Parts: sequence; C-alpha cells; structure tokens
Amino acid sequence: MADTPLIELREVRKVFVTGAIRYEVLKGISLAVERGDYIALMGPSGSGKSTLLNILGCLDAPTSGHYHLEAREIVSLSDTELARIRNQFFGFVFQSFNLMGRYSVEENVALPMVYRGLPRRERLQRARALLARVGLKDFNRHLPSELSGGMQQRVAIARALVNEPKVLFADEPTGNLDSKTGQEIISLFGELNAEGTTLVVVTHDPRVAEHTRRVLTLTDGAIVKDLRNGMAA
Amino acid sequence: MNPLEHLRIAMDALAANKVRSFLTMLGVIIGVASVIMLVAIGEGAKTYIRQELMGIGTNLLIIVPGKTETSGMGHMPSGVQKLTLADMRALEKRATLVTAMTPVVVSSAPVKLGNRLRNVQVIGTDQNFETVRNLHVEIGSFISKADVDASRRVAVIGRTVKKELFGESNPLGRTVKLGETKFRVIGIMETKGVTLGQDIDDHVFIPVETAQEIFDQDGLTNILTQVVNDNAIDRAKQQITQVLVERHAGEEDFTLVSQQAMLSTMQTILGTFTYVLGGIASISLLVGGIGIMNIMLVSVRERTREIGLRKAIGAAQRDILLQFIIESVVLSMVGGLIGIVFGAGVAYGAKAFFPAIPIDVSTWSVLTAFIFAFMVGAFFGIYPASKAARLNPIDALRYE
Ligand SMILES: Nc1ncnc2c1ncn2[C@@H]1O[C@H](COP(=O)(O)OP(=O)(O)O)[C@@H](O)[C@H]1O
Ligand SMILES: [Mg+2]
Repeated sequence: MADTPLIELREVRKVFVTGAIRYEVLKGISLAVERGDYIALMGPSGSGKSTLLNILGCLDAPTSGHYHLEAREIVSLSDTELARIRNQFFGFVFQSFNLMGRYSVEENVALPMVYRGLPRRERLQRARALLARVGLKDFNRHLPSELSGGMQQRVAIARALVNEPKVLFADEPTGNLDSKTGQEIISLFGELNAEGTTLVVVTHDPRVAEHTRRVLTLTDGAIVKDLRNGMAA
Repeated sequence: MNPLEHLRIAMDALAANKVRSFLTMLGVIIGVASVIMLVAIGEGAKTYIRQELMGIGTNLLIIVPGKTETSGMGHMPSGVQKLTLADMRALEKRATLVTAMTPVVVSSAPVKLGNRLRNVQVIGTDQNFETVRNLHVEIGSFISKADVDASRRVAVIGRTVKKELFGESNPLGRTVKLGETKFRVIGIMETKGVTLGQDIDDHVFIPVETAQEIFDQDGLTNILTQVVNDNAIDRAKQQITQVLVERHAGEEDFTLVSQQAMLSTMQTILGTFTYVLGGIASISLLVGGIGIMNIMLVSVRERTREIGLRKAIGAAQRDILLQFIIESVVLSMVGGLIGIVFGAGVAYGAKAFFPAIPIDVSTWSVLTAFIFAFMVGAFFGIYPASKAARLNPIDALRYE
C-alpha cells in the first residue's frame, strides 16, 4: 500500500459555535499527506492553520468530512483509540514548549512512553538516546527551567520523537525563539526529514518554508496555494 | 497502563506541592485521629465501667425505697414508707432465691482521733456485707453478727482513714470518735481505691443498728441482695416485690435495681456518647473530604496545560481520570494513616494519665477509619477528576 497516502482528508469542515455566532474555520479541506513528506502550513493569522494541524493530529475532530489514517476511517473512533493513535502515530511540538516543570528533562522526554506502557528503565534509556540525538546528552537530569528556550524546544522535539511517530506535527515551533536558535531547530527538522520522518509544520517564517518539500497556503479556511519544491503541485 | 504508573504520577504531583498536600490532608488527619481516639477512649470507658460494676458483687439486686419509673440509676425517694430491718428479716425468711442480703445505712460524719479529724462516709451494715459487696477486711475482723445484735460501738476503717488518723501506728483496739460517739476500731479494709465515684478507702463501717441510732434513722438507705444465679434475677424480683408489697400495705413503694440493669444503662449512655462523638468526628472527616475536593479542583485548573499535554501525547480520558482520583485517594489515605497514628498516640497517651481505664485502639476502628478515608478520597476525587478527564486538549493547551 505504498501508494495510499499516510493521511487523507476529504471535504473536512470545522465549525466553532460561540454563543449565537457560528464560525466556519475550515471550509472543506481535501488534503493528502504522503510518507516522508515535509509540509509547511502557511497563511495569515486566523486562517485556520492550527485548527487544521490539530485535526490532522487527532487532537480535534472535524465537524464533517472524512479522515483516513493509512486508509482507515478514524472519525468515529473512541477516545481511547484516538489517544492510542496520538501516542503511537504522532508527535507534537508546540510554540510554547509545554514541558512539565516538575519533571527532569529525561522524564519529560520519556512521558509519551508512560502511556504506551513501557517499563521505566527502558523509557529512560530511550529518552537519553533521543536527547543525545537532539544534542542535549549532558542535560538528562536538569529541570526544563535550567535550559534556554532553544534547548527546551529540542527537549520537546525529543519527546515528540520518542515513540517513533509516523508524523511529527509542529505549530509555529520557532515562534518563541530568536532567529539563530530558530535556525537550529529548522536544520534539525531538515535532518529528521532526511532520516525519513514525515513533518507538518505551521509557520509564518519564510525561511522554514524554504527547507520544506511542500508549502500549503491557507486563507480563510481554504487551501489557496499548494506548491511542491517551489512548483505548483 | 499499569496502575503503579498512575500512583507514581500522583505521588510526584503531591510531592511537588508538599505544604499544600499536607494542609489538604489536615482535615482528614484530624477527622480520623478524633474517630480513633474517641472510639478507643469510649470503648475503654465501657470496659472500665463493666469491670467496676462487676467488681461490686455478683448477681446483685439492690432494693431502694421510693418508686421510680425507670430501672436505671439515680432515683429520688418520694417520702413514702421506709425500708426497714424488719423488711429485711421478712425477706430473709421468704425470698428463697436470695442467697445473701445485707442492710446499708449511709451517712457522713467527722471521724476524730485526738485533734486529727476527717470527714468520711459512714456505712452501717452487717456481717454479710463482705460477701455481698465483695469487699473484704485486710487486718483485724469485719463487723460480726454479735456486733450487730448488740449494737456495739465498733468500727472497721478504710485505708485512707487509717493513714490520715493513725499514720503508721496500729489502729486495732484504739478508740475513735464518730461525731460525739466513741468507737473501737476492730478492722482495716483492703485497699480498693475509687470505684464508680466512691472512694471506698475513705469509708468507715459500723453495725447497722448502731448507725441508725447515732444518725437517728429508722429506715435503711438500701438493701443489697445477692440472687442465687443470674437466670433467677427476674423471679427473685417477683419474690421480693410480693413480700414487700404485702408488708407495705399493698404499695409498691420501693425500686429494685439489678446489677445488670445498672450495667446496661451505663453501657447505653456511654455507647450513645461514643457514637455521637464519633459521628461528630466523622463529620470532620467529611469536611476534610470537601477540602480535598476543593484543592483538587484548584489543582485541575492549575494543571490544565499539563492535562492538555498529556492528552496530546497519548493519555486517554480514563488515564487522566485515574491520575486525579488516585491523587485524591493518596491524599486522603496518607491523611488517614497519619490520623490513625496520631489518634492512637493520643489514646495511648491518655492511658498513661488514666491507668485504670483499659484504653485500647481496636483493629476494627483502625480498619473502619482506613476504609472511610479511602472512600472519602475516592468520592470527593471523582468530580474534579472527571472534570479533568473531560477537558478538551485544544482548549487545555491554549489555557493560560
Ligand atoms: N475553540 C475555538 N472556538 C472558537 N473559535 C476558535 C476556536 N479555535 C480557533 N478559533 C477561531 O478559528 C480561527 C482560526 O484559528 P486558528 O486555527 O488558530 O488560526 P491560525 O492558527 O491560522 O492563526 C480564529 O479566528 C480563531 O479565533
Ligand atoms: Mg495558530
């Protein structure tokens, strides 16, 4: 099944209702995410990028439409099954790193494996390997607050990778970082993609987009541009 | 997911906020400690009362003048016909189920030796008192039948009286004054201490008719009777009632109190007392539970982002639910454990001050307190935990 896309969205709509106001944030998105791809989601603020990313990552459910993960419809799955999918198929990186302040760096990285049911010893072993991979092998026992922003984001990336996800989602991962550390994160993403990780990254930063294989531009909840390697897909 | 992982997560969260966790437990600690303490002391007091009451004799039936409605303690003679020695003589002949009886006249008087003086309880009684009342002379002899028949001026004194008046010297054969009357000391009672509020050691015993004479009384304070066995108590009551009613012109102007009835009245009063206090203490346990719920709600709010993150990386609603319920159960059970230790400590501490009372922390009260603490934690944890579990991960991650 190498030719079925990893993720396929068809006619996905998302409507938020706040009081009497009904706000259609996604207006029928159809999109396929291929294995090994590296996609940038761009567009003006409020265009629905985060909403789309959350739906792709099964953090949020579409109001209508279809979501196929490796050809399996997942819209009707239970909370427990969706949690398992988030745990084993996806990794998330957020703009604000969302590390647990009371846990050490290695424990933060190991956290997704807790919900996978791996024994503690194995979790910490894997966490340390991932920390080494993102260049933080000397900081295993530190608390997140002892690290710089760029280092914290790398801890978050290690955490997102620790269960060997099929897709890594990142929502403005460089938004809270200065341009130099942002650049380091971008090159880390490039390396990860070169090693085979599929990435979907929401960004405002044109430099991020330069490194991706595909750039999707959203405006008002619709995909208005889809460029592959700088050319129309 | 392994429940031990949930436990570890809960312990980490609680350890991250040690002072708050402890303060949250305080309600449960106090609640459990007071339940344990009150039940231990209450049960100890019940055992104590039973021992004391059983110590005053065996199968006792006490006849007091005056009619009371209840068969309990604390009756008021209503100025009717007195109970007399003649009544007792009649009972000795006709109440066949009574094996022994002794008259009692109680009064108080100053007892003097030279210039030493002590106010004491004076008991006028006869030779059967020792058997019926289970109190014995230690040195010398008790009042004899001959002493009673001849209304002799002889006295048997309690230990305290002896010590206060005679110090270390031998009182036997010496003369003391009860009021203005001289008595010869013929015996010293064994040490008994305080029984049911009466300091036996501070009593002086004299022949019953002598007592009636010097205190100018023709009635008796009561008659103590010993029934042949405890199955016969009701029938003995009937016999006694029949004899006395006949002698008192058809009036039932006396009351029969059995040792059993006194015991069960006391036990009921103490039992009620224990349960009321225990109930109040349980309310503080509930208040402790509400305190836990309150802090858990605050904690869920504070940790909204944590909950969102956990969901994003793979926690199901069930995992979040368990995490917070376990947290609340751990809070209340640790509180319960501390409370048990603390309550037991106070109870055994009280034992050091009241060595006579057999205070003991019973296994069932510890188990009950422990189970109660568990249930309080689980019950008051459910609402905050389900609130946490139902949080939408998107909203939770956005939460500032
Ligand atoms: N939970 C929500 N309830 C109501 N409106 C929402 C919610 N989430 C997002 N929106 C609205 O949907 C629109 C798109 O939001 P978002 O996907 O975050 O945009 P972007 O990430 O492109 O800036 C915004 O106008 C936002 O206010
Ligand atoms: Mg956004």
